[in-house]
This record gives sequence, structure tokens and C-alpha cells, in this order.
Amino acid sequence: MSPEPSAVEGRIVASALTKVFGEVKAVDDLSFTVEPGSVTGFLGPNGAGKTTTLRMILGLATPTSGAGTISGVAYAHLPVPGRTVGAVLEATSFHPGRSARNHLRVFCAAAGLPDKRADEVLEWVGLTQAARYAVHGFSLGMRQRLALATALLGNPRVLLLDEPANGLDPEGIAWLRGLLRHFADVDGRTVLISSHVLSEVEQTVDRVVIIARGRFIYEGKLADLEGASGGVVVRTPTPDQFATAVASLNAKVTPRADGSLAVVGATPEAVGRAAWEAHVELHELRAGSSSLEETFLRLTAEPAAPPGPTP
Amino acid sequence: MINLIRAEWRKVTTVKLGWGMLLGALALAALGVVAQIASNGNGANGSPLPPLSAAETQRSIAASAGSAYLFSVVVGIILITTEFRHFTSRPTFLIEPRRGRVIVAKVIVAAVVGIIYGLACAALTAAIMAPWFAALGVSIGWTSNGVLLSMLGDILVIAIFAVVGIGVGVLVRNQIAAVIGALVYLFVLEPLIDIIPVVKNAYPYLPGAAGAAITGVNRGSLAHLNAVQGGFVLLGWGLFFALCGWILTIRRDIP
Repeated sequence: MSPEPSAVEGRIVASALTKVFGEVKAVDDLSFTVEPGSVTGFLGPNGAGKTTTLRMILGLATPTSGAGTISGVAYAHLPVPGRTVGAVLEATSFHPGRSARNHLRVFCAAAGLPDKRADEVLEWVGLTQAARYAVHGFSLGMRQRLALATALLGNPRVLLLDEPANGLDPEGIAWLRGLLRHFADVDGRTVLISSHVLSEVEQTVDRVVIIARGRFIYEGKLADLEGASGGVVVRTPTPDQFATAVASLNAKVTPRADGSLAVVGATPEAVGRAAWEAHVELHELRAGSSSLEETFLRLTAEPAAPPGPTP
Repeated sequence: MINLIRAEWRKVTTVKLGWGMLLGALALAALGVVAQIASNGNGANGSPLPPLSAAETQRSIAASAGSAYLFSVVVGIILITTEFRHFTSRPTFLIEPRRGRVIVAKVIVAAVVGIIYGLACAALTAAIMAPWFAALGVSIGWTSNGVLLSMLGDILVIAIFAVVGIGVGVLVRNQIAAVIGALVYLFVLEPLIDIIPVVKNAYPYLPGAAGAAITGVNRGSLAHLNAVQGGFVLLGWGLFFALCGWILTIRRDIP
């Protein structure tokens, strides 16, 4: 095959990923790219389709349509997937009666790694003392560490972690942050971490992919989202025309409770100019004042219900 | 492939379940053997049963250890459903996305576990029979009466049912439902099929009946298969369930 732009070593690409369960579109035409050398936050409310998306990229679930690739190929076609990609899908993938060390040794055997690798990663995640205990006695934080240890067994170039900070104490979160930053900044690895709380990962990630209700919402540098996080508040009698006018700004327009509109992803100057050029009547135009978390919530909020009977 | 088999073997040996089920299998085998010897009047007092010296009786006693297949089918089911129950299916299929190979490894390990269960049950049967018969002054025709062959049948039945369990567990991923379903089938449905007109013609070819045929026990109302036929039929069921497991695991999403 001719080299595609997606065939960069360590790059994760989702192209038009769609997954339908019965009548529910869990993931709907989702496309994004995750670059090596960065920590990317994969954000969305609970039930947004994050885990389903990760499962499709990892080959555990077959997309209804679309495709996910890592280093340009489908997961199943990676030469040695166990040593290329490390993934954690919720910290529950343990047999409760098996010790931490034996859990890791099972997967050492499967991946053809020496058993001493199990002890190495246990030390890395700080579980050496608990290595011989059955997992059923582990706290959520310890399970997170063991799940991470499992993902790190093959010394992977690409890490996909689903809610890795869940259950970690502040000290653990700081430790995880340092580890992931080191992977991305020093080793140039690809790190994708999902979360439903932006504030949990905002100090760790440099890029974000935001989804809600299975659909793509925003992709870009966290700094850009921060720059626009104040957003712009607009009041207009013709919201539809206004939305068309600012469409070229790639900003997201959402209705606010008081009837005004919030524009995220653009400056007041750009919004004012776009409205003026399109002859859209504005009754109010001001810079908003919301935090990053509020911006995230607004981006992922349920759209206002359309008038008329709901289906 | 050898790596996957090693991994699957470790999964069995690093949890207690396999040992517990082995004890259960041994207890059930011993119960069958002891009950049969104890209840046999050895031809005295007009007992309706043939005496212990009869070849048929000796084979039947040895064959009763085969009932331990109930435990091996459950072990087979649990080997696979545990993966879905505790989501260890995720790291398993992440490390080896060629899912068919994982199922092949599981089938091989299940068969090995089944053979170990079978060997243990057969050894226990011999350990009970030999001194007991000696005390009664009855000689055992290990080869002349086909007792060893019956024991070999036990081992085969127990091993194949472990493989059947893998297929059942892929079919029905819910652990409790799969175990209860399999036991209800073997204890209730299959005997029921034997008493329904017309349908009962299929009975000798069902897994439980074929298993019984291997060990030389006549079960059901119709003439049963001979041991070799039963062996092939049960092997066919084992392959059928393994193939079902292989296909379904490739086609379906991993939870």
C-alpha cells in the first residue's frame, strides 16, 4: 500500500467510526487524530461513547462503519500488538482470586515476555508489596495501578487508558501525571487518556478530543480551548442566520438558558465581524466569563429539545 | 501458539477453582464406584444383579467414574466465561487479537485439564476397586473383562466434555446461565428426549448418551451405540462445540 498520512508510527486515527447497538448510535461518524509525543485527553460525559470508541480502535469491537488505525493499520494487523500498544479499559480486568503477580505472569506468557517483567512493572507502579495478594482485596487505586502495570508489560509505544485517574488519590494522580508526561515528552510515545471530568486531566494533557452523545464536538490544543474558554455571549433575533454567519469560524454555537447564545472557540472581535459582514442583527455581544470546566460542560451539554412532541 | 497455551495453563493453575472442581470430580467418581460395589449383593440372597465377578458388572463399576464429566464440563464453561465475567477477555484479546488462536489454546488446555481429571478419577476408581475386590475374594479382569478399557472411556468422556464446556461458554457468555443450562440439559432435557416418541430415535447420538456408550453403560430405552461409535459421536460434539466457539469468538464483539 502507498504510504498514507495516517501511517505515522504511533499515530492513532479514527475515521468516521460508527457503532450502532440495536437502534442506538453509540458512536456516530467520529473522526479524530492522536499524535505521538503528546498526551491527548479523550473527553466526554458518561455514556458519550468513549469506551466504545476505544474498543473499536483496539479491535475488541467491530465498527458498524468507519475504521480505527494505529500506526496506519488496524489493531489486529499490528506486527506485535502486545508490545506496540498498551491499553486499559476500566480497571476491572482481573480475576479476583488471582494474585497481582500471577495476573501479570499470565500475560507475560501470552506476550512471550520473560516473567521478571511482571516484577519490573509491579515495582514501577508501586505494587511490589501487594504482588502476592489476590486482587479481590485491592482498592480501586491499587486496581488502577495494576491495570496500568498490565498495559506497560510490553513496553508499548502507544498507550490508551480509559479513566486512569478514577480512584487514584491526589498523590497517585500526580504520580500518573509525571509518568504520562515523561512517556510523551521524553520518549515520544503516544498517550490517549479518557475522562468524563476535564479538570481531572487538564494538568496532564496538551491536546483534547471532546465527544458527546457519540458525536465529535471539538479537537485541538487544550491551550486553544482555554483561550476561547471565556467564549462569547450573543443575543440576536435571528439565531439561525447568526449560526450560518459564524459557521466559517469553526466555533460552536449553543443556546443559553436565558435565550442568548454562547459561542465557544472564537473571539468577540471575530464573532462581531462575522455578524456584521452577514448583516445579522445583534442585540448583545460580550466576552463570556466561564472556566474551562464550564466550557467543557457547555460544549457537551444536551441540545435544547426541539419544539413539538418528542419521539 | 505455545505462548498462548502457557498463558491459558497459568490461568487455570493460578486460581483455586480448578483444584476445587477436581476434588468434586473425584468425590462424584468415588461415590459412583462405592455405591455400585456396596449395593451389589454379589449374587447372594437372590440379588437381581449379576455377581461382582461378572465382566459386565466390573465394567459398569469402572464406568461409573465417568459421571465426573459433570465437573469437567463445568470447568470448561468456567474457563471461558470467567474471561467475560471479569473482563480478562480484554487483555487476553489485546495481546492476541487473532481470536481463533486464543480459542484453540483454550480448547487444548481444557482437554489437558479434562485428561488430568479423567486420569485422577480412573486412578481413584482402581484404588477403591482393587483392595475391595481383594477383600471379597473376587478377582478383577483388568484386561480380560475390559475394566481398563472402561476406565480409558472415562478419561475420554471427561476430557471431551471439558472441550464441550468451552463451546457452551462461548455460546452462553453468562457464567451462571451457562453452567445451569448445561446441567439442566444433561440431567433433565436429555433424559426427557429419551421418552418422547420419534424424537427419541436421536437420543443415542446426544452428548450425554454418547458419553455413556463410551464407558459401556446402557442408558436410555433404545439400543445404544457401541463404545467406538459413542467415542466418535462424542468427539464430533466436542469438535462441533469447539468450532462454534471459534466462529462466534471471531464474529462477536469482546465485552
